[in-house]
Amino acid sequence: MPPSNDPFYAGLGQAVRIGTELLASLVVGGGLGWAADTYLLDSGPWGLVIGLAVGAAAGIRNAMRAAQNWPK
Amino acid sequence: MEESPLHPFELHELIPISLFGLDISINKAVILMWIVVGLAGTLLVVGGSARKMVPTKLQSLAELLVDFIRGIILDTMGKDGMKFFPLVATLFVFILFCNVLGLIPGSYTVTSQIIVTGVFAVSVYALSVALGFMLHGIKFLGILIPPGTPGWLLPLMIPIELVSQLARPVSLAVRLFANMTAGHTILGVLFGLAIGGGLLIGWLPFAFTIAMNALEVGIAFIQAYIFTVLSCVYLGDAVTLHGHGDAHAH
Repeated sequence: MPPSNDPFYAGLGQAVRIGTELLASLVVGGGLGWAADTYLLDSGPWGLVIGLAVGAAAGIRNAMRAAQNWPK
Repeated sequence: MEESPLHPFELHELIPISLFGLDISINKAVILMWIVVGLAGTLLVVGGSARKMVPTKLQSLAELLVDFIRGIILDTMGKDGMKFFPLVATLFVFILFCNVLGLIPGSYTVTSQIIVTGVFAVSVYALSVALGFMLHGIKFLGILIPPGTPGWLLPLMIPIELVSQLARPVSLAVRLFANMTAGHTILGVLFGLAIGGGLLIGWLPFAFTIAMNALEVGIAFIQAYIFTVLSCVYLGDAVTLHGHGDAHAH
C-alpha cells in the first residue's frame, strides 16, 4: 500500500511538510539570534530580531522549495 | 475526566538500571522498540529467505516493502543512491513499524518522543554533511549560494541559506514527533469525551475515534514515507552538490 500513489495522502503529506518547514526555520533563526545575544555579543534584542527576520526568510525559501514539487 | 490526554506519553521506569551514572532504565518505549526490531527482523528474514517463484504471503509482503523503498531511492537519488539502501531501508522500516504499532491500544508510540526522532534526524543530517565534505571538500560550502545569485546579495543570502540548511534536521524531527503526538492526543481527547458523555451522546465522539484511527493509519504511513524521502533528498544533495535537489523529489 504505497501511500504516495493516493492523491489525498500525497497532498496531505505535502501540506503537513510545508507547515513544519516554516516553523522549523523560524525556530532555528530565532534561536541562533537569541544565542548570539545571550552568550556571544550581549547585544540586546537585536540578534533575536535579525535572527527571526532571517529565519522567516529561510522558512519561506524552504516552503517555496517544498511547494515546487507539488503533486499534480 | 481528570486524566490528561497527554498522560499516555509519560514514560515510567519498569526496570531501573544505572550504568556508570547513566540512566538506562527499561521503560515502555524501550520494550516497544525491541518488539519493533523483532517483528521487522522476523518479517524480512523469514520473508526474504524463501525466494519462491510464487511468493508466500510473508514473502510478498517483504518484497512489496523492499520494492517500495527501492522506488523511493530511485525517485530521489537515481541509480547511484542504491548504495544507501541499507540505511534508508532500516530507517523506513523502523519508523513505519513504530508508527503503526503505536496505533494498537495499550501500546506505545516510540516516535512520539522527540528524542527518538531527533536522533534519527540529526544523524541523517550529520551523515549528509560529512558525506558532502568528504566528496567535495571545501566546495561543499557552495550549497549555501543558490545558483544565479548576484554578488551584492551574498551577505543576505548566505545567512538565509545557512538557517534554511540548519532547519532541515529540526523540521525532520519535529514533523514526525508532532504528527504522532497530535494524532494520539486527539484520540485521547475523543475517548475522554466518549467515556464522559455516557451512552446518550458518547457514541458520537466514539464514532469520530474510529474515523480518526483510519486517518492515523494513513498518517503513520505518510510520516514514515516523508521522513525517508527527505532523508534521501538530503543525502542526494550532499552527493550531487545541487543543494536544491528537492525539485526532483517525487
